[in-house]
Amino acid sequence: MAFMQCNFFSPALNYSTNINVFVPTPNSDEVLNHKTADYFEEGNKFQVLYLLHGAYGDYSDWYRLTSIEKYGQTHKLAVVTPSVSNSFYQDMYRGSAYLTYILEELPAFVKSIFPVSDKREDTFVAGLSMGGYGAVKLAFEKPEQYGACASLSGALDIVKTMEMERNKIIEGPFRWDAIFECPEGLEGSDADLFALAKKRISEGRELPKLYQTVGTEDFIYEVNLSAKTKWEEIGIDFTFEEYPGIHDWDFWDTYIQRVLEWLPLKNDSIKEAD
Amino acid sequence: MAHIQLNFYSNALKKNANVIVFIPTVSADDYLMGGSVRYGQKGLKYQTLYLLHGSYGDYLDWSRFTGIERYAQDKVLAVVMPSGENSGYVNMAFGEAYETYLTKELPEFMEKMFPVAKKRENTFIGGLSMGGYGAFHCALKCPERYGCAVSLSGALDMQMLQNSRVPHITNMSLNYRKAVYKDFNKIRGSDADIFYLLEEAVKGRKDLPKLYMACGQEDFIFEENENFYNKAEKLSVSVEYIRDHGIHEWDYWDVHIRMALDWLPCKKDLVEE
Repeated sequence: MAFMQCNFFSPALNYSTNINVFVPTPNSDEVLNHKTADYFEEGNKFQVLYLLHGAYGDYSDWYRLTSIEKYGQTHKLAVVTPSVSNSFYQDMYRGSAYLTYILEELPAFVKSIFPVSDKREDTFVAGLSMGGYGAVKLAFEKPEQYGACASLSGALDIVKTMEMERNKIIEGPFRWDAIFECPEGLEGSDADLFALAKKRISEGRELPKLYQTVGTEDFIYEVNLSAKTKWEEIGIDFTFEEYPGIHDWDFWDTYIQRVLEWLPLKNDSIKEAD
Repeated sequence: MAHIQLNFYSNALKKNANVIVFIPTVSADDYLMGGSVRYGQKGLKYQTLYLLHGSYGDYLDWSRFTGIERYAQDKVLAVVMPSGENSGYVNMAFGEAYETYLTKELPEFMEKMFPVAKKRENTFIGGLSMGGYGAFHCALKCPERYGCAVSLSGALDMQMLQNSRVPHITNMSLNYRKAVYKDFNKIRGSDADIFYLLEEAVKGRKDLPKLYMACGQEDFIFEENENFYNKAEKLSVSVEYIRDHGIHEWDYWDVHIRMALDWLPCKKDLVEE
C-alpha cells in the first residue's frame, strides 16, 4: 500500500501543485497471510482512477475523509487525486487552466513517473459534487481517454447550479465571471454537459460509460433527477442509483465503494506482456 | 521537479517505511527558458542516488536542511532518501534489517514503482555521518549494485567511535547500541567494520564502487576519516578524499553534497538502459 504525496511544477497552471497517488503494493496482511500474488512486479501497470474533489476542497480530501486507499488496495487500483481550487474544472477565463491540467498534463505526468496503464479501458475518472461534474466533463471532453466516469452527488447541471447559487438557494464559492468569459452563455456551450454529450454523439465519438449516484435527501437531488431525464432524452446509456443520504462524506465513503464495484476493474495489475 | 513523500509497507523492516523520492521533471526554469532534457520520453530511466541521513535524523533531513532538490534537478538525478533510525544501516543484531531493506528491498521497490535506472553505473549511494558509514557499508557489501559511493563526515571507523566521548556517542542510548551490534566492543573484524570489509573485498579482488569522502579537519570525526583513508591507501584502493575545513553541521554537508554531485558521473539527462 504505497501512499504518495507528490509536489511538482505544472506548466499548464504556471505553479507547483500537489497530488496524492496511491499504488497497491503488498501490505502486511497480504504478506503475513501469504496472499501476495504477483501483482507488484517490474513492468506491471495498474488501472487508475482519477478522483476529483468538490468545491472548497483539495487533493487531500478523499484520502483524509474516506477509506479510498483501503478500497484501492482491495481492487488493485491506483488512485490519483489532484487539486483544482474552485475552478469547476474549467480553463478559467480569468485564472488558471485547470481543464488542460487535468485532461492533458496530469495523465502524461502520472504515466511518466508511476506504473499506471495508458489504455482507455484502464483509465477512469470519478468525483463528488463539483468533482462529479468534473468527472463527466473530462470523460465527455476527451472520450477516447477514459473507459468510464462516475458522479457522486454531482453538480451535473452547471447552468442550474449557477442559477441556484445566484438566487441564494445553495451556497457556493464560485466566481462565475472569473471562470467563464460569459456566464450568461453557458447553456449550449462545452461547459454544459448535456450540450457536450450531444456534440460528441453527433461527431460519432463513443462516450465512456457513465455512473450517477445521489442521496435522496441531498440538496442537489433534484438537479440529479433532471440530469437523469436529460441523459435519457439524449439517449445516453448510463447507470443511475439513488440511496438515502445527504451531501456528506458518509455518503461518499459508502458509495465510492459502489462505484468501484460498478467500474470494469480487473482486480489485478496488468502484466507487461498483455 | 517532483518531490514525493512515499509511505509503504516494508517486509524487510516489518513495518511501514517513509521515503522521500525526488524525480527531476520540467521545472519552472525549463518551462520559461526551454531545456533539452528528454523528460517524459517512454522507456528512459533516471540515474539515481540513494542518500542517507545521520544519527538522530530521518528521511526528511536532506530535503529540509540542504538544497539537494535543486542540485539534483541540475544533474537530472533522482534521489531516494529513506529512514534508517540509528542503525548505521546494518542488519541490527536485535532489530530491523536495514541493510536488507536498503540494498535489496528498497531498490527493487523503486524499480517497480518509478523509472529509476538499474545498471550499476547509474546507481549511487551516499550519506552523511552515520549515513556516510552506511553508504560505504552498503557499497562494500553489495559492490555489484553501486557505481559510486559518497561519505560526508562519515562515521567510518565505527569501532573507534564507540569509545569516543563526543555527545553524539555518549547520548546514544546504550540499549539501542546493544540492539545494533551483538557486542559493540567487538566491531573490529566483524561484518559491521568497513575496514574489515574493505580488506576482504581487496582480497577477493572485487570490483569496488568508486569511493568519495569528504571531512572537515575541525570535525570531531576527522580522525576516523583519516584512519579509513590510510587503510584504503595501504590496500591501494583509490579514494577521492576532500580533506578541507568545517565541522559536523549542515552548512558543510550542503556545500559538499553539491561537490559530490559534481564528482558523480551524471549524464544530466535521462538514460537508456
